[in-house]
Order: sequence, then structure tokens, then C-alpha cells
Amino acid sequence: MAAKPRKTTPESIAAEFLAHGFVCTGEVATTLHLAESLGKPVLLEGPPGVGKTELGKLWARFHDGELIRLQCYEGLDEAKALYEWAYGKQMLYVQLLRDKLGDLLDGATDLGSAVRMLGAQADAFFSREFLLARPLLRAILATGPVVLLVDEVDRADEEFEAFLLEVLSEYQVSIPELGTIRAAGTPRVILTSNDSRDLSDALRRRCLYLYIDYPSFEDELRIVESRVPRIDRALAERVVRFAQSLRKAELRKQPGIAEVIDWALALVTVGADGLSPETLRRTIGALVKNREDLERVLTDLPRLRA
Amino acid sequence: MISGLGRFLGELRSAGITVSPAEWIEALRAVEIVGIENRERFRAALRVTLVKRAVHRRAFDEAFERFFTAPTGAGRDARPDTRQKRGARPGSAGQGNRPRGRPPISPPEADRPPRGSGHPVTPLAQAIEALRAGATVRHGRLRRVVVGRRPDLRDPSAGRDVARTPFREIARRGAPDDADAALARALRRQIESLRLGTARRVRRAPRGRPYLRRLFRESLRTDGVPFGLPKHKRREDTSRVILLVDVSWSTARAAGLFLALGGEFLRFGRQARVLLFVDRPVDGTDLVSRWVASRSRMPFAALLARVGGLNLAAPSDYGSVFHRLLRSPARPRGRRTVLVVLGDGRTNRFDPLPWAFAELADGLGAVVWLVPEALELWGEGDSALERYLPHVDTAVEARDLAGLARGVRELVRRSG
Repeated sequence: MAAKPRKTTPESIAAEFLAHGFVCTGEVATTLHLAESLGKPVLLEGPPGVGKTELGKLWARFHDGELIRLQCYEGLDEAKALYEWAYGKQMLYVQLLRDKLGDLLDGATDLGSAVRMLGAQADAFFSREFLLARPLLRAILATGPVVLLVDEVDRADEEFEAFLLEVLSEYQVSIPELGTIRAAGTPRVILTSNDSRDLSDALRRRCLYLYIDYPSFEDELRIVESRVPRIDRALAERVVRFAQSLRKAELRKQPGIAEVIDWALALVTVGADGLSPETLRRTIGALVKNREDLERVLTDLPRLRA
Repeated sequence: MISGLGRFLGELRSAGITVSPAEWIEALRAVEIVGIENRERFRAALRVTLVKRAVHRRAFDEAFERFFTAPTGAGRDARPDTRQKRGARPGSAGQGNRPRGRPPISPPEADRPPRGSGHPVTPLAQAIEALRAGATVRHGRLRRVVVGRRPDLRDPSAGRDVARTPFREIARRGAPDDADAALARALRRQIESLRLGTARRVRRAPRGRPYLRRLFRESLRTDGVPFGLPKHKRREDTSRVILLVDVSWSTARAAGLFLALGGEFLRFGRQARVLLFVDRPVDGTDLVSRWVASRSRMPFAALLARVGGLNLAAPSDYGSVFHRLLRSPARPRGRRTVLVVLGDGRTNRFDPLPWAFAELADGLGAVVWLVPEALELWGEGDSALERYLPHVDTAVEARDLAGLARGVRELVRRSG
């Protein structure tokens, strides 16, 4: 029996996420609440490292459900995303059941009758026993609460996007050998995009759209303090202020929240009590991941630390 | 409540955000769920259901503030005017308009070779001279420079043809109304001549290219029996065009004419997007497409005043625009994308950030730059064209209406 769905409100979502160190803005909490109520997928966009994937994981945890993740890439096709037949297993079974097959075909007088008799048994090899369910089908077949995270959908080809559109609109798939399979309940779906390609209007229309930007100073401070509990308040403030000033500078790769947390952890690990030039030089690699950016930051240190 | 929200829908549409009936119904359902008591929650419900692109978020927020702010003593339009008074020159705007405290970086004038002798001295000038002469040169990515015929000064009719009168000359002569009326007439003639000249025959293949990756994968699974050659689905062979148009006071006339010309040959929205900029890029696709389609076209300056987020009084800052675009969701991407820049490349001594433009151009199908200035002025003074053009495929001298038409012809040729 399917688990009874948990009742959500924006407040309960925000509180639960905060307990796991994710500072959830009002807009994010309202969007997830609406996605629950309207049964719509959520399309998340935003710069890398702001917690889009993390949001999906926490949503699954919120419902005590399974997180099914489909990582998209160029060349991803239906076989990798939906299902495929376990060819090796089918072959193995045919080999092992050779004697049994011989018995079954014993009464065949000619080739035509043998083929007809074999055809009557073919369904056994195209049953759920031999079906390899991939993430989309697993989400559709799931009986308990489930969150399907379609990560970096912009990396997949346009053809796959069209296919996804079809699955997301009906939550059903057709397998020629088995017929149409419908979802037991509407799965919760999150799609994330880093904007490496413009997604189609049709896909956007079917989703609730949420853009997650870098957090404000106060929010980022709360995130750092909740993720790095051992950090001193004054140091945390300086870390966040420095990271925010880097985002305003015109760097090739801006530091995401994950990098800021890594840097704060690095500072705590080396026992730093301030951002001296020497400490910065030793730990800045956790925050800045590009050689040219690194040179620029080290050159501009006095201005950025101000 | 529904009729009140219906008026908000009109506000959104006039701000350039297209909302389908399905999205509107979705928004009403969302409002029903979250209620209207909590303003931020109400705003979030409308935003996640009605805005589907990051570039529209700002316009939505402005429209929301305008529409759902209680009227004050000065009436509903008593919102703070974030725009500078129009018509102010960059000099009068000063640094106060700049979003950042980044100090202007002066170009290395001392490193530049002397100019004015008329001989090609810089690598760009040498490359342009060689390209014009039909030679094969390498100057980064630049392969083609399209230049108009120079007017014959002995011809008494030279200078009377408004289509061949440089924009700079028109501005100097004054009487802008007469000039604009003459330009409007000339514009119609240019559109007709472009229409007659751009017919192209396209042969369509019934199927796409062989899908080798899939062939190997399927063959491995079934030992290649039965053998079939899977093919990609045929893609529509149309390019996506991004028009990145400088609308600062020095290029606004050329920008308006270019959009009016180009708009006749592009399908705005899915196929073409318009990004307008002075010191930051702003999506103007919907407004420009409606402006191009309307019969009684309002002046281009009036249209610009309606584009939210555009600070027309700011000095143009190409480096900042390219860098912002690089990081924004509106960044042009893909081999089937053609980027067309219209601008003089004058950065007002701000850092031109050529690497940002190089990254933008990298991986695009084609990059075309229309310069509304005479060739002799390219790279002069505060122009950073010398640093941008190595990342461009074709540079077009578009100092007059005829030059813009050449640019549009190039655009149509590139975008198929």
C-alpha cells in the first residue's frame, strides 16, 4: 500500500530544510509547496554551486522517499533513461533452458510449427523478469514516495528533451512487449539546468520555474554557520564578505556556496583566526578554481579584503 | 480578484512577458492555494507560474511592484523613477550611474603605434587592408570585412542620397525630423531591395546524418544482427540569431534602423532574440518584435524608454556587458547560433575585457559585428574594436543605411 502523503506547508518545508543546513527562502518553500499541490515538475535554474541538486535530495528526505537521479549527458537516450531488455540474461536463460526448449518443441513436425510453438513461449522472455528499469521507469513503477531528479537536463540532446516532455506530461510509458505502464502516483520531479543550452518553451511551460541565485549576505552567513559549526562568528562574516566581493569582481568562475563552505572548513582546519595574506594564500585554492582568477585575486587582495 | 489579476496580466504583457492561457490558469490555481494575505508568498506563486526565463524575472518584479503597490498621494505611478532623465549625455551622467566601483582602466595609449598617416600600421588595420584587397590573412577569427563604396566627391548627387549619408553626418546637420522622415522612406526601399536579393533555394534531405554512436551500441548488444543504420532525426536547418545591440546615444539611430531592417527577415522569439545594452544587456525581444510588427511605429527612442532595466544615460561599457552576458542565462550558445553585434566598440575607457567576448564567441556558429562608423575610425580613441574583432568572423562597415542593409544581407546569409 502506498505510504500516506505527508502534508506540506511552506513553513514545514523551510523548517525541515533548515534542520539539514539548507537555508530555504520563501520563494523556494512556496514553489515546493505549489509543486506538491499542483502535481507539477519544478525546473531549477541558477549558477553552478547554489544547491540545486541538494534541493532535490532534501525534498526526497523530507518525504522519507527514494531519490531517483537521472544524470543527463550528451547522447543520453531512451535505453539509458527508461528501460532496456536484459539481453545477457535472456541469452543465459536460453542456454540453460535448452533441454526444456527441446522438450517443448518435440512435437513439431516441420519448421513452421516449431516457430509457432516457440512464438507462444516468446512472451516469457519479454516479461518484467527481463526488464531493466532505468531511472524514469523506476520513478513510474515506484509505489512509495519518490523524487525524480533529472540533473543538468540542458546537457541532454533536444530529442531526449522532447521524449522527456512526453513522459512528464502523462507519467506513463509504452513498452511494445508489455503495453502501457502508468504511474501509481504522480512522482515529484525536479529538473535542474546550468544553462549550457536553451531549453524549449514547451518544457518550460510544463514546469514551475524557479531561479536560485547566490544567497544574500545574511543567508550565506547562516549557511556557513550551520554547515561549519566550529567556525568563529567573526571569521564566518569575513569569509562570506570576501566570497561576496569575489562574486562582484569579474572572475571567470565565481565561487559557489559549496566552495565557500569548503574554504570555511579549510580555514577551521588550519586553525585560522583571521584572513591574513599568508592564510589566504595557503587556503584560497579551496575557493578559487581557475589559474587566471587566482592570480587576479592574489594581486587584488588588499582591495578585496577591505 | 480574477478581473484584478487579469489587469496584471496586461501589465506583464506590456512589460514584454508572454503568458499563455494555460500558464494563466496555473497561476490562478497557485494563488488559490497560497492565498493573497502573505505578499511575498503571493508574489512567489505568480512568479514561479508566470515567469519561465531568468531574463524576465526583473521585468516581472518591476511590474509586480507597479501593480500591487498601494497608491500614494501622487497616484499609482508615484513609483521611484529608477531611470535617468533621457537625453542626458554620458558626461553629465557621471560615474554615479555605474553599478560598480571599478575604476576606469585607460587603454595603453603609449603602446599604440601613431595614427593619422593613412597607412595601415596596427595588425587590425593591416588585416583589414589585406582582406579588402582580397588577400588571405590571419587576424584571429576575422576572415571578411564588408565595406561600402566610397562616395565620389566629384559627383554632385553625392551626399544627397540619405541612404549613403553617414549617421555621424546626419547628426551633425541637425533637423532630425527631416532626416528621420527621409531615412524612413529610404528604409522601405532598402527592405524591398533586400527582399529581392535574398531568395535562396534549400534542398532538404529526407533523413539526418548516420547516428554512429547508436549504431555501435546496438550492434554490440545484438552482435550486429540484424544490421540497420540508425540515423539522426533531421533537424530544422535554421539558425538561432542573437542580436546584441548598443542603444547608447551615439549608436541609437543606427540601432533603430538596424532592428527595423533586420526585423523584416527574422522571426523574433524562437529564432531570434534581441538584447539591448548600454552598460548591461537587457532582453528586448518581445517589445522590439511588437514594435517591428506594428503599422504605426512609435519612435525608437520612445520604445527604448519602455525597456525596463536599460539605463540610457549611462556611458556604454562593452566589457561589463560581455561579462554579464557570459554569466547570464541569456548567453548565446551552440554551433547553430549566430551572434550579431551592433556597436562602435567605444568603451569609455573602461576595461574592454576582450577575454569575455572571446569566451562568448567561442563555439558559436558565426559572429558578425556591424560597426556604425567609417572604417578609418575603427580602433581610434576609446574604441576597443582592435581587441574584439579577432574573435569575429565578419566585420561590416555600417556607417550609413546602405551599410546596415549590407549587414542585414550578411546576417540573412549566415543564418540561412
